[in-house]
Order: sequence, then C-alpha cells, then structure tokens
Amino acid sequence: MTDNSSTEEMIRLLREISGKLDRILIQGSSDNEPDDGILDVLDVMTLLTLPDHLRTTATALFELGSATADELAERTNKERAVESNYLNQLVRMGHVAKNRKGRKVYFSIGEGLGK
Amino acid sequence: MALTIAVHSYKGGSGKTSFAINLASAYASVGKSVCLLDVDLKAPSSFNYLLPEAKHWVNDIFEGRYGVMDVIKDVSKEMGTKGAFYVGYSNPDILAVREVSSKDRKWQSKALKLLMTAKRDLSDAGIDVVILDTGAGVDFTSVNAIAVADYVISVGRPGASRQRSMEQVIGGVYMPLDKDCYIIENMCHNDNPTDLSGKKFDLPVLASIPCMCDVAVRCDNEVLVLTEPDHSFSKKIYDVMESLDKITS
Repeated sequence: MTDNSSTEEMIRLLREISGKLDRILIQGSSDNEPDDGILDVLDVMTLLTLPDHLRTTATALFELGSATADELAERTNKERAVESNYLNQLVRMGHVAKNRKGRKVYFSIGEGLGK
Repeated sequence: MALTIAVHSYKGGSGKTSFAINLASAYASVGKSVCLLDVDLKAPSSFNYLLPEAKHWVNDIFEGRYGVMDVIKDVSKEMGTKGAFYVGYSNPDILAVREVSSKDRKWQSKALKLLMTAKRDLSDAGIDVVILDTGAGVDFTSVNAIAVADYVISVGRPGASRQRSMEQVIGGVYMPLDKDCYIIENMCHNDNPTDLSGKKFDLPVLASIPCMCDVAVRCDNEVLVLTEPDHSFSKKIYDVMESLDKITS
C-alpha cells in the first residue's frame, strides 16, 4: 500500500467515524424529548397507539370536551366504575387533566404541560 | 346531529377534492344544508378556485382566532343550490402553509379539540351534512379530520399496490378510530379491475367511477353535478349520496 492510498483510507475511515458520531448525537438529542414534557400531549397519533379500551375513552373525551365519569360512561355504554378507572389511567399517563368543581370531578384532555 | 363525512385518500391525485366538491354540491342541490371544509392545511385546494372567496380561513379555526360560523361562507346563491351551501377554505398562501407544517404535537392536540368544537357548532347551527376534504396520506391534517368524522370515504385509484396501502390505512387508522368506512374507486380502467376493498377488510365500495378524460379537465372549471347532472360522473355522485342516505337513515 502506498503512502497516498493509506492516507486516503484513513480519511475515509475518519469520515465514517464522524458520520457515526453525528448520528449518535442526533439520536441522543431526540432521546431527551421526555424532559420537555411534551410527550404527555394526547394528539391523534398518540391516540392511535393507545390500547383499544383507553382509546375509546380518550376519543369520547375529545368529543365531549369536558366530562364526568358518569357522562363518559353514558357515551361509551360502559359502567361508570370502569370508565373512572380508565380515566384515572389516562390521568396517570399525563394525557388527561382532572379538576374538581364542587362535588363533581371533571376530566378533560390535558394541555401537555407535564405529569 | 350533522352527518360528518371525511373524504380521504392514501395517495394524492385520487380525485378526492373533485369528489368532495361534487358530493357537497349534490347534497345542497337536493335541499340539504351542507358545509364543505378544506382541512388540508398543508396543501390547500381552495376547491380549485371554483367557489366564491371567503373573508376568513379554516386556519383561523385551528388557531382559535375565529369560530367555524365566522369562517364559512354561504355560496348557495352563486352556485344556484336549493339548500344552504357553506364553504370554508384553507389559506393557500405559502407562509400559512409553512407555518402549519412546523406545528408541534401540542398544537395538533389543540387543533383536534377545536375541530370537535367546530363540528358541534355546525350541528347546532342546523347544518345537515359536513364534508371534510382532508389531506392525502397519514399525517395530522388528515387523521385529525378522520377522528372528528362519523364516516370516512376513502377515494382511490384501483391497483394492486394501492390495495395494499389501502389495507394499511384501514387497519392502522380508520379501524382503531372506530370509523364506518366506505370506498370510492375512482378513475377505474377495464383492464385493471383490482377491487380496492381488499380481501382483509372487505369494505363496501360505494361507487366505481370510470376514468373519463373530460371529467379530469372539466372538474377544474365547473362543478359537474350542478352544470351537467345527467353526466355519468354526476350520476355516480348522486348514487353515492343515495347509498349514504340509506346507510345513515
């Protein structure tokens, strides 16, 4: 191997390493996304990834805007206790906000401000 | 409650917008109160500049600047329809398109809520049929509208590759969102009889519209169901409307 061809080979390898580092850096920056708190946002693409039972509950809540577990159960034709359980699961996932007004608890799709 | 139909296609150029304009016009021509919204904010069709201009844009609804009733315009007088014919346009200005293309998931979540509110407002205002002309493919401009709709009409050109992609969108978007969906086979050729409904889902095909050169040209300048109701394309659109009436009654 001549000096010239080995230098060219080294440059080629360095470029390859540099490319790999760039990809690792890009990958790393997207892994940091949860810190922004925006992963909790319930957009329609996230809705599609939810299991069937939670998706039905969340879709009904999108339609109603704001609702109690009773109102939601009426819409989905499920037991109130079941819907309440699903809604609270969505609250824990950060997708749904829970507010008390007097004696009633209202659920609504969250604004994605974090858990 | 207004009947809300999302007109979607997996690929662009399927004739989705022409179908949506003509279906909306067919409903308005028989006396139904109709609202046609262009919700394809990333590639506004402005309904091919066929319909009179409006003061505000559908973008204003998604931004929360105006309610849907401030945005839509009744064009029934200009179009000569028996029923009220409201239209809402997406802003075709490139700055507006670029702005929409950079929106994040949080904005899209809010946009979905505002679109749900718009649907309720249209119902409350006594609109019978709302037709959402969506973007092609799977992104927020199409899937938000599909989520809001009661029914999805998927317009596609028959072909083996399109059948596969149609199955993807049915199984991956329409079904999980629990939508009743129907297929329009558009621009059909006798030598390519592939049925778009597919083997896996076997969805009802509401119409198979043959490929007609004059339709492709004329749909840019006129609304065929209004200017030539006896045209074979117009008849197919009226057939679809009657089928939908039976399904929804």
